[in-house]
Amino acid sequence: MNKENINPDPGCAGGFAGASDGRLGALLRESRVSPALPPRFQEGVWRRIEEAAAPVKVTGGITWLDALVTLVLRPRFALATATVLMVAGALLGVREGNQMAHQDAQARYLAVVAPNSLR
Amino acid sequence: MNRSLVILLGALVLGVALFGGSYFAGQRACRMTRPADDLSWLRDEFHLTDAEMTRIQKLHEGYLPKCAEMCAKIAAKKSELETALGGATNVNPVAQQKLAELAALRAQCQSQMLQHFIEVSRTMPPEPGRHYLAEMQRLTLGFHEQTEQSMSGSMGHEHHQP
Repeated sequence: MNKENINPDPGCAGGFAGASDGRLGALLRESRVSPALPPRFQEGVWRRIEEAAAPVKVTGGITWLDALVTLVLRPRFALATATVLMVAGALLGVREGNQMAHQDAQARYLAVVAPNSLR
Repeated sequence: MNRSLVILLGALVLGVALFGGSYFAGQRACRMTRPADDLSWLRDEFHLTDAEMTRIQKLHEGYLPKCAEMCAKIAAKKSELETALGGATNVNPVAQQKLAELAALRAQCQSQMLQHFIEVSRTMPPEPGRHYLAEMQRLTLGFHEQTEQSMSGSMGHEHHQP
């Protein structure tokens, strides 16, 4: 708020004017009705300041997911995983293929030597 | 959707595709590289030598025309049976005779087949020969045993019912 010189006599200056301003200011402060602060106001202010200053918290589920993605996107890890998957798939496929080929061959032999009408 | 989740799901899909592709490629390659002749199972299953396979091949080639002839006779007899049964509401004497002839033909054919298995088993070393004969009897005659056992089992169950 701007302090204005409300002295009606502009020619009058010096100590009298200063003392008059001081008294007037005190009177004005006393006359101003300031509302009562809510309970625990100061504590609330500090809490909000601390919250604003703290880094943004992330929810628990996202943290491990981000860590996992960081791991997955590492070239060495990605290459190793892809290699393991391909080798495991191929080995399992060959094993299954062997069994299927064996069963196919048995069925072929049986179909030739023992037609279905005899079994 | 969360970016990390999308990346992770993409990696998962890629991993599944890699595994599945390798699996099917391996399976296909394995099945395609196997020999496709009629006797390849014998060679692999009983670990036979080339000399044994040559003897078995001769027996096999000798047996096939006899088997085809018997199969043709059985097919003709089945056709006769169907004609005898055509539109009939009961089993007439002609149909009964055809059934008996069909059964006799099947028995003759099975006997011939078992004789062939015995001859093949004799060309093998003793242990694989026994294994082959047991396996062929199980595969060709076992089906009827299973059916008969299941039927007699269900009949027994019925007898116990009040």
